[in-house]
Amino acid sequence: MNIDFLQIVMVLGTLTCVLGVIFCVRTARTRFDQVEAPNKEVNLGIVRVPPLTFAKLLAFASLIVLPAGAVFLANYHTFEGVHEVRGCASCHIMLPMVNDMQDPMSGTLAARHYKNRWIAENQCYHCHSDYGLGGNLEAKMTGFRHLARYTTRTYHEPIQARVRFDNKNCLNCHAGTPRFEAVQSHKTAHERLISNQMICLNCHGQPHPTSVQRTPGSNDYARLTEKMK
Amino acid sequence: MRLLRWEAFCAILGFVLTQVFILVPGPYPMALFTFVAQPLFAIAAIGYLSKVIANLRRHRDL
Repeated sequence: MNIDFLQIVMVLGTLTCVLGVIFCVRTARTRFDQVEAPNKEVNLGIVRVPPLTFAKLLAFASLIVLPAGAVFLANYHTFEGVHEVRGCASCHIMLPMVNDMQDPMSGTLAARHYKNRWIAENQCYHCHSDYGLGGNLEAKMTGFRHLARYTTRTYHEPIQARVRFDNKNCLNCHAGTPRFEAVQSHKTAHERLISNQMICLNCHGQPHPTSVQRTPGSNDYARLTEKMK
Repeated sequence: MRLLRWEAFCAILGFVLTQVFILVPGPYPMALFTFVAQPLFAIAAIGYLSKVIANLRRHRDL
């Protein structure tokens, strides 16, 4: 049986949430000033505690420990979920990028990486890795802004990238490879590429469909926004 | 400290929203978890800790 981390997180998360709800219901029904006399001790398996201590421990677990566990597990779930192409495609606004990338007839940079298997899996995340757990605070805030704007539908198609794409996302894989080093212009522009004064796309073409193609009503819009199979 | 009722209800709602997100991940459950459940947990924790501190002060333990 092949069990991955995500399944373990789902099981642990479910356990944490169910336990949390049960403990919270118990805590909500407890009147701490009317808990029974200390002569009726509660057996916790390894120790016997007075009922008031037990009620306080339960409150601590239900309002501090279990919420912390649930938040940790759900955030892990979030950061793992953003790795998958399916995770990106779950927002329909990203479908043009994903559909184009998986289109063997497309010549965009993303499609060329995909069809040539230059990136084996989690293709979106590999080129936008500053979006995930390892990314900087700015990328995290961008993620929250995207989520808020998507779910409140306060966005306009075609969407425009506000942040500048960090060349490090390309250089992480390409820098130092014989094919990369063999190109003279990479050496000439090295400093400007490292400092993001010049972007890789200046020479390497369109990464995704153009904003004209992604505009509702365009010839390509229906094809690009088809649901992922 | 007499009651932790509203803190517990905040946490219950937080747990329910978190559970939905864990089982059915998607943009809307993720937004509910990020912008509703997490603040609810924080409000519950702050309410609980403030009552604990007030209780300790009343009993002159702090």
